[in-house]
Amino acid sequence: MATTVKTRRTLAKAGVLTGLIIGALFAGLPVLWMLSTSFKGNGEVFQTPPRLITKGFSFDAYLEILGNGAQLRFFLNSYIVALSVTALTLLVAILAGYAFSRFRFPFQKTINAVIVSVQAVPPITLVIPYFGLVVALGLYNTYPGLIVTHMVFTLPYAIIMTTAYLNTLPKELDESVKVDGGSSWTALWRILVPISVPGLVAVGVYTFMISWNEYLFALTLTRTDDMRTVPIGIQLLMGQHSYEWNQMMAMSILGSIPVLVLFLLFQRRFIGGLTSGAVKA
Amino acid sequence: MTSLTAPEKAPPAEPETPQSKRSTVARRLTPFGYLSPTVLLIVVLMVVPIIMVIGYSFRDNVIVQPESEFAGLANYAKVLSDPDFLAGLKNTAIFITVSMVAHLVLGLAFAMMLNTKLLGGVTKALFRIVYILPWLFTIAVIAVIWRLMLDPAGVLNYVLQTLGLIQQGVDWLGDPGTALWVVTFANVWSGYPFFMISLLAGLQGIPGDLYEAADVDGASPIQKFRHVTLPQLRPVIISMAVLDLIWTSQQFALIWMMTGGGPLNATEVLSTFTYKQAFSEYEFATASAAAVVVLLLTMILAFFYVRQQRER
Amino acid sequence: MAVRVSGGMRLIGAVTAAALVAFVGACGSDDSGDTASSGGPVELEFAQWWGAELPSGSFDKIIADFTTANPNIKVKLLSAPYASTKQQLVTGAASKTLPDVVGLDGAWVNDFAKQGAIADLSKLMEDAKYDPSELASQVQYKDKTYMIPVVNFVYPLFVNQDLSTKAGVSKVPSTRTEFADAAKKISASGGNVKGWALPLDTAVPNGIQNDVMSWLWASGGSMLKDGKPNLQSPEVKSVVEYVKSLNDAGVVAPGALTMKEQDKVEKFTTGQVGMMIDSLAHINLIKKNAPDLKFTVAALPAEDSYTGKRGLPYASWGIGVSNSTEHKAESFKLVQYLMSKEVNAQLSTIANGFPGNKTAQPDLSKSDPLFKTAFDIYQQGTPANEFTGLPKSEDLMRSFDEQLQLVLTNKSSVDDALAKAQESWSSVIE
Repeated sequence: MATTVKTRRTLAKAGVLTGLIIGALFAGLPVLWMLSTSFKGNGEVFQTPPRLITKGFSFDAYLEILGNGAQLRFFLNSYIVALSVTALTLLVAILAGYAFSRFRFPFQKTINAVIVSVQAVPPITLVIPYFGLVVALGLYNTYPGLIVTHMVFTLPYAIIMTTAYLNTLPKELDESVKVDGGSSWTALWRILVPISVPGLVAVGVYTFMISWNEYLFALTLTRTDDMRTVPIGIQLLMGQHSYEWNQMMAMSILGSIPVLVLFLLFQRRFIGGLTSGAVKA
Repeated sequence: MTSLTAPEKAPPAEPETPQSKRSTVARRLTPFGYLSPTVLLIVVLMVVPIIMVIGYSFRDNVIVQPESEFAGLANYAKVLSDPDFLAGLKNTAIFITVSMVAHLVLGLAFAMMLNTKLLGGVTKALFRIVYILPWLFTIAVIAVIWRLMLDPAGVLNYVLQTLGLIQQGVDWLGDPGTALWVVTFANVWSGYPFFMISLLAGLQGIPGDLYEAADVDGASPIQKFRHVTLPQLRPVIISMAVLDLIWTSQQFALIWMMTGGGPLNATEVLSTFTYKQAFSEYEFATASAAAVVVLLLTMILAFFYVRQQRER
Repeated sequence: MAVRVSGGMRLIGAVTAAALVAFVGACGSDDSGDTASSGGPVELEFAQWWGAELPSGSFDKIIADFTTANPNIKVKLLSAPYASTKQQLVTGAASKTLPDVVGLDGAWVNDFAKQGAIADLSKLMEDAKYDPSELASQVQYKDKTYMIPVVNFVYPLFVNQDLSTKAGVSKVPSTRTEFADAAKKISASGGNVKGWALPLDTAVPNGIQNDVMSWLWASGGSMLKDGKPNLQSPEVKSVVEYVKSLNDAGVVAPGALTMKEQDKVEKFTTGQVGMMIDSLAHINLIKKNAPDLKFTVAALPAEDSYTGKRGLPYASWGIGVSNSTEHKAESFKLVQYLMSKEVNAQLSTIANGFPGNKTAQPDLSKSDPLFKTAFDIYQQGTPANEFTGLPKSEDLMRSFDEQLQLVLTNKSSVDDALAKAQESWSSVIE
């Protein structure tokens, strides 16, 4: 009997591993191609037959990006904006999610529906009036302008997710705090938030990504190179006559490395250990 | 076979104690207090421009000429009878449905594989990194690299031909028959990490004792999945599905940069239609009308979502 | 049980407000476009995509020389991704935040002028007592100039000589029959090579202008009659039928329906395509990416019996002035500077284009000999681009493109397609 269990386990393990490898190929091959392109000479990108590593293999593209002050400024701007957006959005979304999850109040459904559907307007039609508004508010070509814009885009998602995560936590947790004389505020920050960290980290990481990769409004709301972000920097390499393929890919790769590192730092939160037995009736 | 459900969540039990009127009022206002920053931001920065867009949709010659005239519902009539709009509606429906289902299935499959107890932490961590890669790149680069790979003389055809799976290079993007599927595939690739990470976090939140109880009852893995995992993940799944539908319906840059809505309108979706109306035909009024139509369709979706939230 | 609610609420409010205030205060706005009061130095903003296409730093130097000559005027160069330029200009125009001087494409002029976004240059020329006789061309709307082409890029026929010789094509094709013949021979020479690249991407439908209508203009034809669309003429029909015949013969590179101009160039450069109609500005690009590629340029093939002057399609880097700028006079000074004989010649030389100033002589001595060939073609022929100055030209190109695609995929007859295109165009060009 023991051997059957063991073989079953090994088979299962092999099965999962195979699945993971196939999935990894699906996920990773385009990125591998990006990497390969970043090392090619511009004339080799369209060569047939396509090769992973070409004769003109070089780090030139990377050196050009890293040596270009304007491009480096783009990276800095992207970080400042994305980090601010993540922090502020999480804060605001936790508060709002708490309201939706733990309270009943008039207009609740309407406000909830408005928040959800507000992100449904095609951004391209929103650009012109939104731009006019930002100019009128004096936020044109500023960090705060970009930050609040990205917040407004990420809040609906963040609120939906925080509400959902908070909803999975039983109300008994709040009650235990209230019974001890705490307020809703205390219940939120002392008990609920620490438990929902995996969910919050997921929301935070995705908020960062959205802000980091956003293009249309980052372009429209900025005017000068000292305010622009990485996606704009990449598109600047798509010229009228040709693309600087290797530099575009190099910039994308460079842009993704720190984000990857961020993810690596926070992904430990995803590893289990937080839940078994955490919630006792 | 006992069916496994989550422990019943106790109804809210606000302690009823004699309070002064002031505290009751304050208590009623508490949720609004929590909501205030959100409401402030969204009202000022979203609702105002949206109202302006709605305003545009009722006028003619908006933006492109200094004076605009009131036009009633004319723009809506024009938009809803435009064959390109209707084609866009159909393609959008296919695009978002297939994308959403694929995102969900892939996301869940990957999340469960990454959550397995059968493999070590390091292995799982390595795979996790690979799986979130599509997330890290801006959509313009994703569009451009997929175009490069899908070129008739590109690497995908090369690999398929070398493996003997196809005889001649397929014109993936230029053939009206395959264009929409290919673009959807690229969209699935770029979007599944969102589902995967959210579901992974959700999986972490499922109490282990539920699975133990299931084991005690002799449940098979499939039964555990159906009766523990799925119900526990339900709120997260539904939220993400709604979000994904909304986001995918707005996906513009990926399609625009891969095919521009062509060939022969095969990949024309509502977002490309709206863009062309606004910045190529300079018809901001009809573009706004199209936007309002999309908004209305989404609000229906939003109401369903909110309703099911209540029924928890 | 005391529920300490109000304290919590106040705290939330305070924190949020503080955060917002701190941000607005700390991250101050970078001032854009200081508008100085009269007498003080003026800073002009010039939005263009040209700097990126020129040798590194060369455009900055030209602008710096302007400031040296005009110490009271500083110029700040703004750039945006080329693909988003038009959309950004439209947005900026709507909020009256357009930069003082703007780089324009001739195809946008009609719509921007109608929007009131760009200034009447005829008036500015009068005010500055500028003599426009040196200008090779001006793009007008309702008889007033709104854009001046600074550098013109012609689109001759590029021929890969290695592939042609290998395929047994002895001379550069000069008529449509010769072209079709050459294309067939090249496509038959093996190795997945095709004779011609036809970019019909609908997102940026310039292919209609450069690669399709150019055949019409090369034979002296016109798509308009008395300013109105005339797409059902025998000349236009013969062009569409010709393109269809090439497609049916299998000489067109695959992927045509979604191919972009940049892809076309790449395919030529990597030897996958034998011939293409392309901008002269790419010569240096091709030489850089494929130094061993032997190619030449030629006039576009005309109809077999045609002996008149051949139209040569072109695109320009045009310049205009924002209508909402407070520094119209200074802005026009910059325009004058860029159009002046020496500067214009210098700019054309480094851009590998032809000057917008008739009297300017580009320095061809240091350039590739192909430029001299192209310059001769330019002078023997006549520049032709009927889309310049038309309203909604991108839309016109796109609707024609869609009909052409139906023809190429056998979903519509040539006559039906042209009738539909004529209908679409008539509703736009009133």
